[in-house]
Formats: sequence, C-alpha cells, structure tokens
Amino acid sequence: MQVKDVAYARSGDKGDVVNVGVLALDDAAYKRLVVALTPDRLKKHFGDWVRGDVEVFPMPNINGFNILLHNALGGGATKTLRYDVTGKAFSTALLRMELPE
Amino acid sequence: MKKIRLGAGSAYWGDLLEPAVELANKGELDYLCFDHLSELTLAVLQRQKAKDPNEGYIHDIEPWIEATLPQARKQGFKLVTNAGGANPAAAARKVIEVAERLGINDLRIAVVTGDDIFPDLDEMRSIGIKFPNLDTGEEDIDRIRPDIVAANAYVGGDYIARGLAAGADVVVCGRVSDTALFIGPMMHEFGWTYDPKDNDKMGAAITIGHTVECAALATGAVSNLWRQARDPWRPGYPIAEVSEDATAVISKVEGSGGLLNEWTVKEQLVYEIGDPNNYFMPDGVADFTRVKVEEIAPERVKLSNMGGKGLPEKLKVCIGYRDGWEGEGSLMFSWPDAYEKAKRGERIIRERLKLLGVEPIELHFDYLGVNALHGPVAPEPHEMNEVGLRVAARTRTREEADTVKRESTHLWTLGGIGTGYLSPAQPRPSVSLWPTLVPRDQVQMKMTMVETSPVKT
Repeated sequence: MQVKDVAYARSGDKGDVVNVGVLALDDAAYKRLVVALTPDRLKKHFGDWVRGDVEVFPMPNINGFNILLHNALGGGATKTLRYDVTGKAFSTALLRMELPE
Repeated sequence: MKKIRLGAGSAYWGDLLEPAVELANKGELDYLCFDHLSELTLAVLQRQKAKDPNEGYIHDIEPWIEATLPQARKQGFKLVTNAGGANPAAAARKVIEVAERLGINDLRIAVVTGDDIFPDLDEMRSIGIKFPNLDTGEEDIDRIRPDIVAANAYVGGDYIARGLAAGADVVVCGRVSDTALFIGPMMHEFGWTYDPKDNDKMGAAITIGHTVECAALATGAVSNLWRQARDPWRPGYPIAEVSEDATAVISKVEGSGGLLNEWTVKEQLVYEIGDPNNYFMPDGVADFTRVKVEEIAPERVKLSNMGGKGLPEKLKVCIGYRDGWEGEGSLMFSWPDAYEKAKRGERIIRERLKLLGVEPIELHFDYLGVNALHGPVAPEPHEMNEVGLRVAARTRTREEADTVKRESTHLWTLGGIGTGYLSPAQPRPSVSLWPTLVPRDQVQMKMTMVETSPVKT
C-alpha cells in the first residue's frame, strides 16, 4: 500500500523549504501514517532533492501532518532551475511512498 | 452576534477576474480582499519603479477595481488590496483615475506604506542591526549588499484597520502579509487588538485569513479532489463569514463552480505553512493544531476553537538580490528510443558548452514525461512515446545565458532523429531571495488618505 491509498497531500514553498501537508482519510489511516511518516523514511524517499533536515509536525485535530523539507527546492522558487519552481508536485511524489506493513 | 462577510478576490498576480466579479455581485459582502503578491513580486516591481516613478504596482488593480467598485459603492462593501506593491501611492492614483472614469467622485482611499525598508537598510546596519539569512545561516548581507534590489517587511493589518476607521472605501497596501488583508477588517469591525487579551482572537483571525487568502485554492483548485470540482473553468472564490466570537463559516456563492467541503478547507489549512503549532504572522502567532474544521452543511465549513500566542517581536523581511542570469531551452524527442535520445541530448549540450568555454554556475536538466516533477522519487520509465528535455542554466552573464538557449536549439539536428524544439524563452536576470527578520520598532508604518476630486472636507 502507498500513502496515496490512505491520504491526501498538498505541497508548497517558503524560500528553499518545501512543506507537504498530509491529510489522513480516517483515524486508522492517521495511525498508520504516524508510523510511516518519520523524518528518516521521508529523507530516504525524496533522495537528493532534499538536501537539508526533515521535520514532521502531527496535527491530530485534523488527522493531518505538516512535513517540512529543508533545502529542497534548489535555492527557492525565484532561483531554482527545476521545472516545478514552487514544489507543487512534492505532494504527489509523497503519495508514491510505500507504507510499512 | 455581529458577523461580517469577507470575500477573497484574487490569490496571485494574474489570477482569474470573473470569480471576483461574481463575489462582488452575489457574495453579499462587507469586504472584498485581493492578494496580488508573491515572494518574488516585490523585486520585479522595484525594478519597474526604478525605471519609472509612476510604476511598481500591479496593473491588475485597474481591471479589478473597475469591475468591482460599482457594486462596492452600490452595496456599501469595502475593497482591500496589496496591489500597491512597491508603489502604493501610484496604485492609489490609478484607483482615483478609474473611479473618476466611472463617475464616482467621493471615494476615499487609504494608502498604507512603510513596509519598504530598502531605503533604510544602511542606516539600520549603522546602528548594529544584522540581517542573517534564515535559510543558509549566513550572518549578514555584506556579500549581497551591492546586488540588492528590494527589501520589504511583511507587515500586519493594523494600518488597514486604521484606514477603515478613518472612513476608507478602498485600502491600497504594499507588502502586508496576505492574511493581513482579511485581519485588518476584522480588527476594525470587532475591535480586536494586539493586546494579549486578544491573543486567541488574533490567532483566529490569522487562521481564517490563511484559509481564504489563496482564493480558489480553498474551493477545489490544487486539490486531490479535482475530479469532484464542478465546472473547473469558473471556480467560486471563498467567503469567510466571521463572527464576533472568533469563529467563521467558509462558503461560496451558491451555484458557483469548484468544490468546497471539509477536505478542500483542510488542504488550504496545511498549505505553505511552517510549524503548525506556531504559524508566525506579523499580527500574531496562530496555533493550527487546535482548530476544529466541520462541514455543517453542503458548501459550508465551520472553523472554531482557534487560538494564538501573541505578537512576534520581529517581522519577516524578504530581501531580493540580483544573482546572475537564467537561460533555458526545451526539446521533444520521439519514439523509438525517446528517452535514450534525450539522455544523449544532455550529453551533447554539456559537451557543446565545454567546447564554447561556457561554465554555468548551475546547469540543470529535466526529463519531461520521466522525472521533471518527481525527481529521484520517480521510477525508471518503460518505452515512452515521447520525452521532453529541458535545459536550464544560471550563468554569470547574459551572453552565457543566451549561449545556453542557442545551444539547446541545435539538438533538433544533433539530437538523433524526430526531434522538435519549443521557441526558447529569452534569457532573464535571476533574482534570489534572502529571508531575514527586522525588529518591529524599526518599521515605521503610515496611513495616508487620498480622495477623488473634488476633495470633500
């Protein structure tokens, strides 16, 4: 199973930081994601596109998480040479992540 | 209980106009607020102002005001915009011009300024203020000082509230925070202040402002539920109906397109934020981990239990500085062996640039259809019908950027067979941002009232 099967996600930028908000579809999904969305697993998932730290903030009030990926946009929206200058597709890239059994 | 209705009429420079007009006509609004700025915009606008002192604002203000002002006058709602950009005074003159053209001659326009600290940077530094880069940790701006083109503090809604209290029909601002466009009216209407007793109310104001400031992004745009958005070519923009008890109901005009439910509001709540326990804005620090989001009826979502933690001591500042040039080109490679030909194309461009002695500061290749959007997360593709190759480079000079552009076009002949290229964009100056902070007391805000002629006293 992938994150795609249990959650929605939306990403955006603040300078060279990309944030990915994750919304679990129900309580059970939220519990699975607490285990799945660790900074280590996320760092590994995004490979060399994320050069800095990864932070995960739970938002239990909405069964959600906010993930901060530091130094992840090639210098930020105004400077990056990437096609996706504002990091909008980090959301769908996260949806590819496999959930641990 | 007193309630006010705030409409979000724009989320960015170049946004759709018709949904704003729909809000003006049918939204039963008290305020219509327009956000036209992004992090980069001020650097672009400062350059325009440097060339012409009457420029440096967002030209969208003219069609937006023209299309909504007649209804605003008829119904009595107010307009609040940050389209002033780097030159709110010039934007206000444009508003007057539009009003007079519409035959409106008793319009009061509050002009909010003070966010532009570019002229004061050196004086602040002379008294020991430093501007560390919050992304990189670099201690001060010495290295980039000669290349700085803009420095704007993100300011709050208090001077918007002042303008409204002074009777403004339209408030024109520069770099107020996006949320401030909505917070100013709430402060004015409900008497909320920066006093610690109002911390939770200001936290609510920030949360509500954040929820609607990106217009269609709360109503089915940039949404995982895109399939459900009705008539996506005419999205309804959101309305926040805010109560004096610091709760709100998010809605949109009945029958408008798009989608509004619990999920689309939550999607916006988590959009472009940092630590959700402490969402820093010039008007306070909001806690997004308390808010309750409830769909109370179709297309009506209630926000309650919001809170905040008081005013931050420092304001965020975005400094923009020139940082070389950018050149790019794009090609499409066809079956058979499209991906293999595209990869060979990258090699050819790298060798061509070497041959010509061009050494970009940074050289980047995107494989469209393969990994341009997901990068290392994307799996290796199987046989592709076609693959795009985009080359982008940041260079020291315009000439080098132009060479990158020109060399990309050669791949239509050197790149194998069956290759097409897009007319490449012209080389453009690259502007980098230096995110930093400034002590609040260093930013001197001002509200000036201007009026259409004849001036009434």
